[in-house]
Amino acid sequence: MFLHYIDLSWRSIKRTPVISFLMVFAIAIGIGLTMTSLSVYHMMSMDPIPHKSGAIFYPQLNIMDDGNEWHSSDNLPYQLTYQDAVNLYNADIPVPKSPSFRSGFSVHLNSPDVKPTMEPARLVNREFFTIFDRPFIYGAPWSLNSQDTHEYVVVISEKINNRLFAGKDSVGQHIYLDNNSYRIVGVTANWEHHVKYYDVNNGAFNSSEQLYIPFGIGALEEVTTWGNLNGWKHEALKNYQDLMQSEHVWLQFWVQLNTEEEKQQFANFLMTYMEDQREKGRFNREALEYKLRNVTEWLEYNSVVSEDNRILVGLSFMFLLVCVSNILGLLLAKFLKRAPEVGVRRALGASKRHIFAQHIVEVSVIGLAGGLLGIVIAQIGLWGIRVTNSYYDDLATMDVSMLLAAPLIALVASFLAGLYPAWLVCRTQPAIYLKSQ
Amino acid sequence: MLDIKPIFNAIRRSKIGALLLLLQIALTMAIVSNAAFMINDHVSYLREDTGFPEKEIFSLSVMTFGKDRTLSQQAELDETMIRNLPGVIDASLIQAVPLSGGGSSSSVRLKPSPEQSKSINVPYYYMDDHGLNTFGIKLIEGRNFRPEEVIVGNDFTGSGPNTIIVSHALAKALFPDGNALGETVYLKNRPLEIIGIVGTMKSPWPNGMRDKTTAIVPFMDVQSYQHILVRTDKTERANVMANIEQNMLDIYDKRVIINVDGLDKTKENYDATDVLMMRMLIVLVVILLLVTALGIFGLTQFNISKRTKQIGTRRALGARKSAIVRYFLVENTMVCIAGLLIGGIAAVVLGNVMMKSYSIASLEPEFIVGTAVFIFAMSILAVIFPAMRAANISPSIATRSI
Repeated sequence: MFLHYIDLSWRSIKRTPVISFLMVFAIAIGIGLTMTSLSVYHMMSMDPIPHKSGAIFYPQLNIMDDGNEWHSSDNLPYQLTYQDAVNLYNADIPVPKSPSFRSGFSVHLNSPDVKPTMEPARLVNREFFTIFDRPFIYGAPWSLNSQDTHEYVVVISEKINNRLFAGKDSVGQHIYLDNNSYRIVGVTANWEHHVKYYDVNNGAFNSSEQLYIPFGIGALEEVTTWGNLNGWKHEALKNYQDLMQSEHVWLQFWVQLNTEEEKQQFANFLMTYMEDQREKGRFNREALEYKLRNVTEWLEYNSVVSEDNRILVGLSFMFLLVCVSNILGLLLAKFLKRAPEVGVRRALGASKRHIFAQHIVEVSVIGLAGGLLGIVIAQIGLWGIRVTNSYYDDLATMDVSMLLAAPLIALVASFLAGLYPAWLVCRTQPAIYLKSQ
Repeated sequence: MLDIKPIFNAIRRSKIGALLLLLQIALTMAIVSNAAFMINDHVSYLREDTGFPEKEIFSLSVMTFGKDRTLSQQAELDETMIRNLPGVIDASLIQAVPLSGGGSSSSVRLKPSPEQSKSINVPYYYMDDHGLNTFGIKLIEGRNFRPEEVIVGNDFTGSGPNTIIVSHALAKALFPDGNALGETVYLKNRPLEIIGIVGTMKSPWPNGMRDKTTAIVPFMDVQSYQHILVRTDKTERANVMANIEQNMLDIYDKRVIINVDGLDKTKENYDATDVLMMRMLIVLVVILLLVTALGIFGLTQFNISKRTKQIGTRRALGARKSAIVRYFLVENTMVCIAGLLIGGIAAVVLGNVMMKSYSIASLEPEFIVGTAVFIFAMSILAVIFPAMRAANISPSIATRSI
């Protein structure tokens, strides 16, 4: 029966090619525009590390003395001071944790054959790779011993490894970052992520770093941050020492807490730590405050999904609604024109349900065609976005779930548009049309 | 004369078609007026003057890794070399590239720190006495820095500069009813005398809140990662840019030259998200209007085909062709006006929702009125052709059965 209905639909569509095409086109345009904005939104808001986003936390401390305000929604600074980051890392709590910040170096082999290039780098401790499941092609993160003895070691990206070592296992080789030689301990695979969730302060959709070096090297080489550096009171920073001892915030910090219990313990520790610091003259405030946000909450808090995008998604769904009401009108015209034919069929014994089903199938065929054409239009739209703004290169794409969503939304939309006309047409009284024949 | 009452009754008898049309017009009205408002907002921002001759300026970043030279001496050599290149008008070291999205800001106060006083967050540029000429910005009042006022060092508070050049907007904000020239302000607790005032000079964040209150401070804190700003003859810029890396490496090669970008390109990158949003909104509006026009057209066609017999009968009873056309025009106008009224309210509601949820200014009424007029005109156009065809229906149809 279903196949028969599809056959009938096809005949009907062939009989009225212009109006059918208009309907397919209207759905396609609606779906195309909606999917374009929805895809970008989906990529922006997608959980970047679904299997453990609830277990990775970002602590924030209210370091300001009473009476000072921070420009965040909850009055907490987005980053940590150097002393706090180091203290939290060194605290005797056996969970993976790491401070982190972005910087950059010139990379070369100290030979005239290779022209130095500038590469972004991240200063972290070895647990960083565990927390974020960073994949390695060769080698592994540096050892605890290398970290503690401030050995000059580096983890490089696949990209750099391909360029400097033709993709061969380069573990044990040396490269120069600025004018220091570093021993390569590991090569990481290209890290695909749509949102640079571990460091939103440098732009949440920027590319990831190509070099990873131990956090401790930062103090030795006086590495400055490429991210934000903010203060809440006047402090003169004449040198790196001043910066390390200051109340300026410029470091990110991540900690992995697998259970609710671990989270509670870490939270208690943060409170004790702040009380302890208050004794020493810092955190001069009535109520001590901290926050532990997991990855999802952190992205939400930092409004990673842009406002513009939310607006566009809303507007394009409203646009889809206009398309649907348009199709409704066209369907009415089309179906009612066919009332005489339906009258005859009814007289020959077709039940209301049959007539209704047949028309719904026809509408669905149109909706499906529109959905498929809509995917094509959405691809053109996404291509347009990528061309306009390279920042969206990774974002303006459709993944499988969006590819499946497109025909689904089209079907639902066309079904809704078809309900009333199909109901109207199945109520046709056979008698009227038989009489006038 | 316009037969409003019978037309209204006819509409009531075929509610669904009219209702659909009304819904479409209302939705289109709500979306288009808000989108048009946002587009206008983006366009007017993108058209704003930055103060800089963007096509004459380019910037480059230098990352020095060699440790065998003094950075500040090397910087001076670099500046002199670049200033002497053919086609170059002037050049200056700078700690933040204008319009790039990355830079420094701090509060400027009227009194030193523990004391309470007016304070304004000011994006600032560190440049030397060649800075103004490199920016291509003219002084409105006062004078440029003298070479001896440019301080090289890293202790801003202790032994930093004593002078500052401010934008007109900053002067106005700090001294709303006085002459700012010669006054002293405090930046990072250091007293600076305002010696010059310039016109528009945008910040590294032209789209942010801190847009026009900017300043130049004659201070050179040379770092291993440093920017240089160069202004050239418009025609020579490409040439100078192409050779700058080699020129720089020729005098010292233990460094990397990156981000050699024209200021117009820098601004384009910074504005890319805005341009994208604007383009998407324009696409949305154009297609939406087309779809709505098609919808009105289709529904009118539908109405006419349903009423072929009545039209024939009216014509047979002596109605003129113009009466038939007028009938459909009046019918459409009634539905359209109702739709526009509802849509106008929806537009205001939508605008308010967006204003509350997002940082968007409240919808200005002229956009609602403008959109309404446009949609109305469009709907008349979409009706008139089917109506003219309807008017050509032969009266003889009345005598025929379908």
